[in-house]
Formats: sequence, C-alpha cells, structure tokens
Amino acid sequence: MKRLALRLAEIVAGGVFLYAGALKALDPAQFAHDIALYRLMPAALVAPLALTLPWLEILAGGAIALGLWRRGALLLLLPLSLAFLAIVGITWARGLDIACGCFGTGGSSLALTFFRDLGLVVLLGWIAWRQLRPAALR
Amino acid sequence: MSSTARDSSRPPLRRGLREAAGILGLALALALAAAWLHPRRPDFDPHTYTLAPELPLTRLAALPGSVLWIDARSDAAFAAAHIPDAVPLNEDHWETLLPGVVERWQPGVTVVVYCDHRQCQSSQQVARRLRRDLGIDSLYVLEGGWQAWQEAHP
Repeated sequence: MKRLALRLAEIVAGGVFLYAGALKALDPAQFAHDIALYRLMPAALVAPLALTLPWLEILAGGAIALGLWRRGALLLLLPLSLAFLAIVGITWARGLDIACGCFGTGGSSLALTFFRDLGLVVLLGWIAWRQLRPAALR
Repeated sequence: MSSTARDSSRPPLRRGLREAAGILGLALALALAAAWLHPRRPDFDPHTYTLAPELPLTRLAALPGSVLWIDARSDAAFAAAHIPDAVPLNEDHWETLLPGVVERWQPGVTVVVYCDHRQCQSSQQVARRLRRDLGIDSLYVLEGGWQAWQEAHP
C-alpha cells in the first residue's frame, strides 16, 4: 500500500514539474521577463536561466514520474523547490504584485503560489525520505 | 536510463549524484539548442532585463524637457481618473492604444509610466515594451504610481 502511495506521489510531483517546465519551454522569452520582474537575479543570468530551468524541470520531473534516475532527479528538484519557495516567500513579503510565471504566461497570485510550492516541497520531501534514506539506498 | 548491473555496484549516493549530473548535462544541452533554434528564444542582452528606474514625484521638476505621462492601469481605471494629459497604454489593448502614444511622443520627451500603486508591475511591463517596440530610452516608472499622485494631489 505504501509502495502504491509512493508511486502515486512520484507521478503527481513529477507530472507537475513536467507540465510547468513544458509550458515555460514553449516561451522562454516570456519566462525571462517573468524572472526579471522578481528583481533577484543579475540581468546577465536571466536568459541562461530562462533557457535551462524549464528543461531541468521537464527532465527531472519526467524522471521522477517514470521512476527512472529518480534519486538524481530528487537531488536536483528538492533544493530547486526549496529555492523557489524562498524566492516566492521573499517576493510575497516584499509586497510585489507579480504573476509567478511558474506555469507559463499569466498565473496565480504569490500567496497561492507560495502554498502550492509548499505542498510540492512537502510531497518531494516525503518521496526523498522514502527513496534516499539509508534503508532505501541499500 | 535504468540501473545497470554496473550502476548497482556503485555507492548509492554517488550513483544519485551521477544521475543528477546526467540530467543537468542533458538540460544544459537542450538549453543550448533552444538558445540557437527556439523561435521564442530570450534576448541575451542584459539591458533587456534591466528594469526602468523609479522616479519619485519630488524629482519630477528636475527632469529635462517635457514629460509624457503614460497610464498603464486598466481602461476603466483610466476612464475614472488619471494624471492630467496622460495617455492610456496597457498590455490588454496594446495594439489599439499604442498609436495614441506614438502620436504624442517626440524625441527629447521623457516618458513616465505609472500603474496603480507601489507594488504593481504593469508600469514596468509597459516600460519594457515601449523601450523594445519604440526604442524609447528616456523612460521612468513613477514611484508609488497613481496612489502616490493622489496623495500628493488630494
């Protein structure tokens, strides 16, 4: 039963990253402008990040959803999700009124984004605990 | 991508790190291909992502030449009230409103864009498109937006 729950959690979490990454990969130019509005990244890094991040989400999310290279994918997505959560939290606390850009053009409010990311971090954390703990690694 | 017999003989954490490096390498390769081939590839000029400077109302008098106010709020908000002589321009009706801006703007005129309040970002988005589409460089965003203007002009 626990195995089934874990597999379901992997499909859901991986699918969310796959979907979010695919939407951003369709329009990296727009995603670059979304990143710039956060005012946290040096301008020179905006374009490289806008091109790389969506593919990282697609590949790592796809890996978790398919159950392939899932440890490597978790090692990438967990810190990335924590960084997203911190960035959204800081931006929300600064009172900036911007769309998160997480799912392509437009998007939800920062408050909703924060709690959605928090849910995703908890889900990934649970998957990582099940997959990366010493007993699972043996 | 499945674990091979050789993979399973490696220490698990090292295997995880190798997988992560593989995913990262593949993502970088795809990003590089997108930077070259994608029809919507981002501009690599950092200037594109530099936000327009914010102008406090107190520094307005120090601007050289005349000022063209651009109201980036919604059509309804503009219709209700706006800064005198401001021209409406928002992303929802960009194509229909842009000619009104082109008609009023001349080289040497400083453009100041405003939206609702301090936290709104539509003025930055309109300023970015004005810089890109019309090549306007003398461009500011009003600090505090319409709210600051109302407070200064009760």
